[in-house]
Amino acid sequence: MAVASRPSPIAWLLAPALLLFVLFFVLPFGVMAMMSFYSGNPVTNPNAFPTTRHYERFIFDTAGIFHDALWATLRIGFITTVVSLLIGYPLAHWMARMQSRLGHALVLMAVIAPMLTGIVVRTFAWMTILQDRGVINTLLMEWGVIGKPLPLMYNEFGTVVALVHIYVPFMVLTLTGVIGRIDERLEQAARSLGAGRLRAFVEVTLPLSLPGILAGSLLVFALSISAYVTPSLMGGTDVLTLPMLIAQQVGTSFNPNFAGALGVVLLLVSLLIVVAYNRILARLSGEQGLA
Amino acid sequence: MNTGCNKRPFDAGRATYLTLNGLLLAFLLAPIAIVLVFALNPTPYISFPPVGVSLRWFEKFFRSPEFMNALFLSLWVAGCVLVLSIVIGGACALALARGNLPGRSFLTAFFMSPLMLPAILTGLALFQSYLLAGIGRPVWGLILAHTLVAVPYVIRTTLAVLHNFDRRIEEAAAVLGASPTRVFFEVTLPLIRPGVFAGGVFAFIVSFDQFPVSLFLVVPKGETLPVVLFNYMKFDLDGAIAAASMVSILLALSVVLVLERLIGLKAYVKL
Repeated sequence: MAVASRPSPIAWLLAPALLLFVLFFVLPFGVMAMMSFYSGNPVTNPNAFPTTRHYERFIFDTAGIFHDALWATLRIGFITTVVSLLIGYPLAHWMARMQSRLGHALVLMAVIAPMLTGIVVRTFAWMTILQDRGVINTLLMEWGVIGKPLPLMYNEFGTVVALVHIYVPFMVLTLTGVIGRIDERLEQAARSLGAGRLRAFVEVTLPLSLPGILAGSLLVFALSISAYVTPSLMGGTDVLTLPMLIAQQVGTSFNPNFAGALGVVLLLVSLLIVVAYNRILARLSGEQGLA
Repeated sequence: MNTGCNKRPFDAGRATYLTLNGLLLAFLLAPIAIVLVFALNPTPYISFPPVGVSLRWFEKFFRSPEFMNALFLSLWVAGCVLVLSIVIGGACALALARGNLPGRSFLTAFFMSPLMLPAILTGLALFQSYLLAGIGRPVWGLILAHTLVAVPYVIRTTLAVLHNFDRRIEEAAAVLGASPTRVFFEVTLPLIRPGVFAGGVFAFIVSFDQFPVSLFLVVPKGETLPVVLFNYMKFDLDGAIAAASMVSILLALSVVLVLERLIGLKAYVKL
């Protein structure tokens, strides 16, 4: 077997990518971490000194907004993940079990098309639907169901709706792969032994798809806690998340050092999720290798 | 058993299942359809139901120098990203699949990590690095930042193709006397081309629609289309945004069709 042999000359093709990633990915994140421990720009400002005050500012939170922002970020991420799972699972199951190739391709396209539409565009679409003069409120008022517009936007509700729409395709694609790998005959066996369709699903397919549920949820959670566009357009003044706070620190307060500290906090949360996600994926592909 | 399917009476469970999934598909697609309605609706602000069909918003979009500058900058950046990420990502995928590298799975995860880490942090980290290096915010800095987040897509699609094709084809060419270089250019490269191109098309879209990475890296008057749209939307919600959205949706749809033709969507869907 060639597995244990030395790297072949083809390995050199890795060099450009490695260079790009070291210079524009690893190094910058190092710079961000370093900046978060400085009072100013250490290159241009000779008076800049090392300090932990940015972290203290976040931890002690005398202004009373940073903890709220962190909490709101995690809460919105969590709700988005749960809703995406509830919406994504039936679609993924349908796709994975679809016999017709054409049907499968069409549903796949329908799932991917929104993914290829920019976040700004999709958020705009939801603004036209959920605003006071938007599609839903206009229709409901015309039908006499409500007297004045429902507050569907400029709050957490609108933010979550748009985020779910944006990230549910990731959930569907992750789950479809996992459900598709579950042998359908297991479910058939359960049914031939007398289990109803629902029971066969709950006791056979659902537990077997747990790794996919976990991987998809982690992915959606990681994506939605780092969302900036959607909460800042759909959330109005009601919602303040960590990415919004970071953008404020760079844009209006021009405090890149504190922004760096906030960035490190968000990075740590994300890294935790990424590590867990990769573990699950590794286990999944290991199982696939055995099959 | 299957022959009995059609004769079975109304199956409530199955009907519920299909209805639910139909509704979910509608949830996914309706917003895109609604944008089209608003792009064609002539009223001065976004209002429902539409009162007519006009192209005035498309006209406003294509006549506005602000939008057009942004559109051309976005297309230029995305074009550069397409070329760069094809070369860098394609080469990287080949090395990962055929280089006998130690720590292959770690390296693969490493090259995929820009997709998992918050893109806004990639933007922030690069912004701070450019600040520290004192180079300002040049367009090439933006292009390389986009390339960084686009390369993983090319790697993924190329790896998917490499994974699917039989290595024995290459071995057969070698056995028949082809030099390694010849095997590479005449067998491997043509075989992975669809995967690399599909990744490149995807890289183009990722760059064209990119917002979080661009946010801190663009200069005033030199903003990409998504940033201009975002700033516009904070104050104004009219049909021009819908028209601009339509332009990028049409672009995305054509990309989906191209992808489907090149490799079939399935190959790149592997997450």
